[in-house]
Amino acid sequence: MSTYEEEHGLSRENSEDARSASVDRRETRSQFQELFQTFGNNNSEEDVDNSMLLLLLSQMIPASLQQEWMEQMEQSDKKGCSESFIDSLPRIPASKIKEDDSCPICCCTYKEDDHPLVAELPHCNHKFDLECISVWLSKSTSCPLCRDDVMSHKPGIDTSQVELEEDWGMFG
Amino acid sequence: MASLPKRIIKETERLASDPVPGISAEPHEDNLRYFAVTIEGPEESPYENGVFELELYLPDDYPMEAPKVRFLTRIYHPNIDRLGRICLDVLKNNWSPALQIRTVLLSIQALLASPNPNDPLANDVAEEWIKNEELAISKAKEWTKLYAGKR
Ligand SMILES: [Zn+2]
Ligand SMILES: [Zn+2]
Repeated sequence: MSTYEEEHGLSRENSEDARSASVDRRETRSQFQELFQTFGNNNSEEDVDNSMLLLLLSQMIPASLQQEWMEQMEQSDKKGCSESFIDSLPRIPASKIKEDDSCPICCCTYKEDDHPLVAELPHCNHKFDLECISVWLSKSTSCPLCRDDVMSHKPGIDTSQVELEEDWGMFG
Repeated sequence: MASLPKRIIKETERLASDPVPGISAEPHEDNLRYFAVTIEGPEESPYENGVFELELYLPDDYPMEAPKVRFLTRIYHPNIDRLGRICLDVLKNNWSPALQIRTVLLSIQALLASPNPNDPLANDVAEEWIKNEELAISKAKEWTKLYAGKR
């Protein structure tokens, strides 16, 4: 968000916003300190219920800050597919590519390239330039067209088998 | 400035040759990634008869990254904050590189037609909206007249 606003000379409102956010943060911090002192002094007296503590904390954190954290969490959660998975995507032979088929990501017809390298996603069979879909799948696991989670179908490791082996190990 | 990806050129051309009803989007002369946008308030919404100005920017990573869009015209809406920032899933976590400028603007138009005060990330307008919907709608209409009058 900030780069956008910087680029467009919209920093004034933005910095006002940032200033009030930093005041919020300062307040939050002092409230945290108070809370910890209160609970720290009469510890072990009564076991403080964790859920109550969480509730208190969440009430003290300004909504704007909560949103920021949530977005940060979502961003760090966003992991793409492995390189080996992307490399293993089936590739479409040139003979099967129609004249006016185009890549939904770059919007160019595949045949504009003399040697188009077109990949197909497993299960939903949506097709893209390998180059284009590689970039997307390096940060996401969903098909751009149907949002199918490409990793959810991966046969991968059979976990039931792994657990079974561990059980056997315990007996042995 | 790096050359403009073909996709952006194509999208720009199509926005001009086959415009979306009620929506206009024109690139700036000196920055073809920056668009001046207007969206007409949908009929039978509190924003009816209003024309809202927005700005849209295509980041360097576009289309791997969503366009940045915000309202310039003030608007009273539960999913748009006072800085004009829009709370819309396709602009954030639900972005897909198969979406386009026109689909994004259509989504924003749809958001004007059906405000969603129950969105978990909504602002204080949303609270007011939930508390007294009738009052909120009349305020939205008032703001539309006040700030989004046709020129
Ligand atoms: Zn492509
Ligand atoms: Zn798909």
